[in-house]
Amino acid sequence: MEIIIAEKIEKIYQDNGVPVTALKDVDIIVNKGEFLVLAGRSGSGKTTLLNLFGALDNPTKGEIKFEKYHLAKMNKKELSELRLNKMGFIFQAYNLIPVLTAIENIEFSMMLLGIPEKTRRERALSLMKELEIDQLADKRPGEMSGGQQQRVSVARAIVNNPTVVLADEPTANLDSKTASNLLDLMQKMNEEKKITFIFATHDKQIMERAKRLVYLEDGRIKQD
Amino acid sequence: MLLKLAWRNIWRNRRRSLIVFISIVIGAISILFLEGITNAFLNQMLFNQISLSTSHIQIHKNGFRDNKVIQNFVPSPDVVETILSTQSGVKAFSKRGITFGLLSSAENSSGIYLTGIEHNREGQISKVKSTIIDGHYLTGEKGEILLGKKLAEKLNVNIGDKVVGMANELDGSIGSDVFRLVGIFETENSEFDKTNIFINLNQFQSMLKIPGQVHEFAIVLNDHKSADEINEQIKNKLNNKAYEVLTYAELLPLLILQIDLSKESMFVVYFIVGLALIFGIINSMLMSVFERINELGILLAIGMKTTKIFGMILLESLLLGLFGTLIGSAVGGILITVLSDTGINLSLFADSLNSYGIGAILYPSVSYSELIGVLVTIPIVSIVGAIYPAVKAIKLQPVEAIRYI
Repeated sequence: MEIIIAEKIEKIYQDNGVPVTALKDVDIIVNKGEFLVLAGRSGSGKTTLLNLFGALDNPTKGEIKFEKYHLAKMNKKELSELRLNKMGFIFQAYNLIPVLTAIENIEFSMMLLGIPEKTRRERALSLMKELEIDQLADKRPGEMSGGQQQRVSVARAIVNNPTVVLADEPTANLDSKTASNLLDLMQKMNEEKKITFIFATHDKQIMERAKRLVYLEDGRIKQD
Repeated sequence: MLLKLAWRNIWRNRRRSLIVFISIVIGAISILFLEGITNAFLNQMLFNQISLSTSHIQIHKNGFRDNKVIQNFVPSPDVVETILSTQSGVKAFSKRGITFGLLSSAENSSGIYLTGIEHNREGQISKVKSTIIDGHYLTGEKGEILLGKKLAEKLNVNIGDKVVGMANELDGSIGSDVFRLVGIFETENSEFDKTNIFINLNQFQSMLKIPGQVHEFAIVLNDHKSADEINEQIKNKLNNKAYEVLTYAELLPLLILQIDLSKESMFVVYFIVGLALIFGIINSMLMSVFERINELGILLAIGMKTTKIFGMILLESLLLGLFGTLIGSAVGGILITVLSDTGINLSLFADSLNSYGIGAILYPSVSYSELIGVLVTIPIVSIVGAIYPAVKAIKLQPVEAIRYI
């Protein structure tokens, strides 16, 4: 089942008034349940493509369809709702909300969906147990290691049962053992919960585990 | 959770939030204190005027207020007295004879405002009795006279000394009498003390050959707020255009206007304090937003709607404003409560204050409505101050915000 269809995507940035082509003629289809890695060197366009999939940015040309939604035709509010309901995000720098505890960070996106406090607390705790991070529930990001923070951010990304999780260099700040543990966890979620994962990375560990590897070079798909 | 998040965000940068918090506290205290002092001035001016001579309601012959000549006495004082005796809400009333005249001692003379009073009733109307600093109040004996301290000094007379009072009679001839000074009063109003003298009403009437006639009924009510209502009732009962029945607000229009203007001018104070606070809040909230650009980008990315982000920034500012105002109002309230009991001693400026009819000790006070005004205004100012930073926050593009270093 196709969840993302990107056709003839072009993205041109303005860098101090100079146009820079980040993506050119990119066509790609992402299917449900994939464990897809967008790989390539820095500047190859993988993060740009990931951001376009996540409706965080707009293409200069071309069209992206997410399930039945044409992203270009949606307004800011609709895109917010789409991200909230259908997508989960994992960032390189974890980006948890520093003033909230681990469990509150996980609950936050449920709160945005209007889920009652008791339900979201139960669901967050249950997920934390499943990811073996329940002992971190009352810790704030500043009191956790990088690996712990990234596990919490995985929990935050999947707690609303998204269609797809978009992960931008999720292991870049982790040592190899911690990164491996984290990838085990995400693979488990992919296999058990059938959550689609799309990574933008140049981490070999992730590439080795990919079910599908898309290699970008100079803004074009070189190999799929 | 949004409330929890907003509250915790406030205390991320404690020093900055504390500076804004303290400025709000000081702002609230300043407004309350200024309101308290203004009220102290105005209330004392009004209270002194009412309690020295004006009373809450006065009844005269129609036209007396504009033309205080001896001929303008109350048409039927017995009828008025009967009505007032049965009128509810009236605490006390007293008859007065009033005219202008001249008072002379062996050394000097001075133009005066001569009032004949009922010595046994006037004490409930006017506080002159309680301001006697030498001698005693009128007892009803023939020849008694009360002078203000300033006038006694001018005439160079002491208790027991003789003075001669003169005023026009009905036919224009001069009526005069000899009085012996029995009491010297000193009020907070130096102008009042320079010109007002008091004698017994029956001697006033005999000196000016107007037996049984009076010029004024001075009425004190149980509650001054019912003045308009009781005034109307008395008018209806008299049902005669020969009388003028006036409340203190009608008798002291300039003072009432001054009070109204002063209250309205408090808006200027609100505006100035509000303006200062707004810029402080804008600055603080803008810094807070710029420090969190990355985080705001994440919130946008995970699906937080811009309206919620906008609300969160406003909520942070509102919480700061609300707690600052509550603390400021509590401190200001306690300060004013203490000072309303002990008073603020301004003896250094006693002379100038007395010329305005104000005592040297001020008793600040604020009403509940003024307190509520502060409690509502400053939090609103806090919200207004956060609008611009909140607009900045929601205009962020998620991708650019997440990348922002």
